[in-house]
Amino acid sequence: MVLLLPLFIPLAGALCVFLCRQPRVVVRAALTTGALQLAAIGLTVYKIHSQGVLTAGRYLRADGLTSFFLISLGLISALVLVYSSGYLRHVPEGRFSSLRWFYGLVFLFLFTMVAVYLSANLGMMWIFVEATTLASALLVGFYNTEGAVEAGWKYLIVCTVGIAFALFGTIALYLAAVKGGVSPESALDWGTLMAAAPGLVGGRELLKLAFVFVAVGYGTKVGFVPMHSWLPDAHAEAPSPISALLSAVLLNCAIYALLRFDAITSRAIGSGFSHTLLLIFGGVSLAVASLLMIVQRDLKRLLAYSSIEHMGIVAIGIGLGGALGLFGALLHTFNHSIAKTFLFFTAGNVRENFGTLRMERIRGMARSLPWTGSALILGALAITGMPPFGLFVSELLILTAAFSTAHYFIAVLMLAAISVVFGALLHHFQYMLMGKPEDVPLQQPALQASWFVVMGVCALCLLVLGIHVPAAFTAVLRGAMAVLQPAVLHP
Amino acid sequence: MGLFETAAAKALASSGVFLFMTVLLIAAAKRISTCIGLYSVQSLVITAQIIAVSRMHHSTAGFIVAAMVLIVKVVAIPYVLYRIVEELQAPRDVSSSTSSSQSVFIAAGLILLSFFAVRPYVGALGGDQAMLAAAVALVLTGGFLMVSRKKALMQVVGLLVLDNGIFLAALTTTFGMPLVIEIGIVFDLLMGVFLMGLFVFRIRDTFDHLDVSKLRRLRG
Repeated sequence: MVLLLPLFIPLAGALCVFLCRQPRVVVRAALTTGALQLAAIGLTVYKIHSQGVLTAGRYLRADGLTSFFLISLGLISALVLVYSSGYLRHVPEGRFSSLRWFYGLVFLFLFTMVAVYLSANLGMMWIFVEATTLASALLVGFYNTEGAVEAGWKYLIVCTVGIAFALFGTIALYLAAVKGGVSPESALDWGTLMAAAPGLVGGRELLKLAFVFVAVGYGTKVGFVPMHSWLPDAHAEAPSPISALLSAVLLNCAIYALLRFDAITSRAIGSGFSHTLLLIFGGVSLAVASLLMIVQRDLKRLLAYSSIEHMGIVAIGIGLGGALGLFGALLHTFNHSIAKTFLFFTAGNVRENFGTLRMERIRGMARSLPWTGSALILGALAITGMPPFGLFVSELLILTAAFSTAHYFIAVLMLAAISVVFGALLHHFQYMLMGKPEDVPLQQPALQASWFVVMGVCALCLLVLGIHVPAAFTAVLRGAMAVLQPAVLHP
Repeated sequence: MGLFETAAAKALASSGVFLFMTVLLIAAAKRISTCIGLYSVQSLVITAQIIAVSRMHHSTAGFIVAAMVLIVKVVAIPYVLYRIVEELQAPRDVSSSTSSSQSVFIAAGLILLSFFAVRPYVGALGGDQAMLAAAVALVLTGGFLMVSRKKALMQVVGLLVLDNGIFLAALTTTFGMPLVIEIGIVFDLLMGVFLMGLFVFRIRDTFDHLDVSKLRRLRG
């Protein structure tokens, strides 16, 4: 029954927020709900690690993989809520864009994402992945400007079409399972499918077809090139806290769905096919996104392309497979979430001070905004994978996996792309930081205490994960890997 | 086999033809409201198929799905779309980048293509070739409508046709998924159409037109 808590709390929170009138009360209700949600997720994670797989009814299930992704969701969503409490002071009035709607939709969005993680059934998982698009489309269009409306529309249409392909893939898998002798009622249940997977060899062609459609479908949501067109628009036009949620939590949700399908397909027909497909998608995304980062002019678009690049790295890690590759990929999703949240919060500050995100109009930040400027440097170093930050460790793990499995082309591609990204960020950020402040920042709102808290937590996490991955966290990661690769021995 | 079963099987076999007809007519249609009506007819054909399939397999869940599809896809969604067309007070043509006759030719080509595409799978999947081809043809024409029609509402119609195709594919190959999943999928679709309608109004209010091919501020 503990599984119902993290689902019930955001729903109750959304209802509470909609009922409140006073902005101050809304913020307080949101923060309380966030704290309760964090506690509920903590309790769920604790229970998973003390009791093993949890189930509630036929449709809810939580195992090691769920717990890993829930930890990342819980942490990021709490940070986003705290940051929003200081950030959203001037909300454009309009239909669906008030403080109430903002928090209400955020909680609905969180509900759908938690539900994706807790679904025991692949069909239900699909329903909630589609629901994440629906819950967040209005948040993407929150500012109601031309850009925001266009981005919201594009997001809604591209992701819905993409996800429709994933539904077709899910149906094909269902068909393969039914033909393989699984009873139709439970042929989409993860536990049943994983147990029956080795017996589905007969449906080889059908399983391949299913995985192609699922990879394209959920890949749209992950932002793989060439299905990525919605991602930079949505990330750039959404309010900064929402950009952080999209990049750090939503993309992981889609990766989670891919991981589940990849595990079943690999177990049934060997990992060759699905892993090659992921390597191709990952490699293309990495190469294209890193090159596009050079020509970006908008800070948040730049960060969005960086998300595509990192999702490419994660896909490569999964595609390389084995204990090392998967460990690196999972760790990388976590590291990327934190570093990208950090950077989007910084971008939010830049926007508040300069009133724009066009990088050519931002000059002399190091002098005029020392704190935000330092945060930008720190974030840039972390996201490009410099030691001593967490992303260095996970990228090194994935590279090691590439070399040790003799995927030299992938390894070289990855090294080249990371260098290009480093150059691109250096190029863009040096002009923003150096020079004389031409346009004096519009107004200088005092940095809020909440900003220092969230930035401190992010930086601390990145440093700790870069120096030494805590034993407890390694245990969580191992639990997640054991779900996906039941037969492989782990490091 | 009783009379009803035979009738159901016959209806099932011939309903592919009706679906192809709706596809060709949607391609030819010049007004948005005609397309919406045709979508409603198309969903009605699919409802009939669900009833026939569930009658043949004696499944009660199938009848619930049929009722749901009837309410949502035949009545609710077309009604909502009609209302949007009325409220928008905007020009009601589909503004296609291909002419009506060209579109019909392309749609016919897509139908032929789907017959060839499903041929290798018919044996393995079971199911009727015409039905499988109809499913693929719906997916392809849905996609074609989305890229060739410039009006925001027509993209929604294209998406709905595409969705009907996937629904039909599931129906012909697996005789439907578990009930809870079907309900969730249809619910998502309904919510999606509401949201898209909302965005259509926003596009009109922000840009003063509904031509999505002119939405190209965000590039690169």
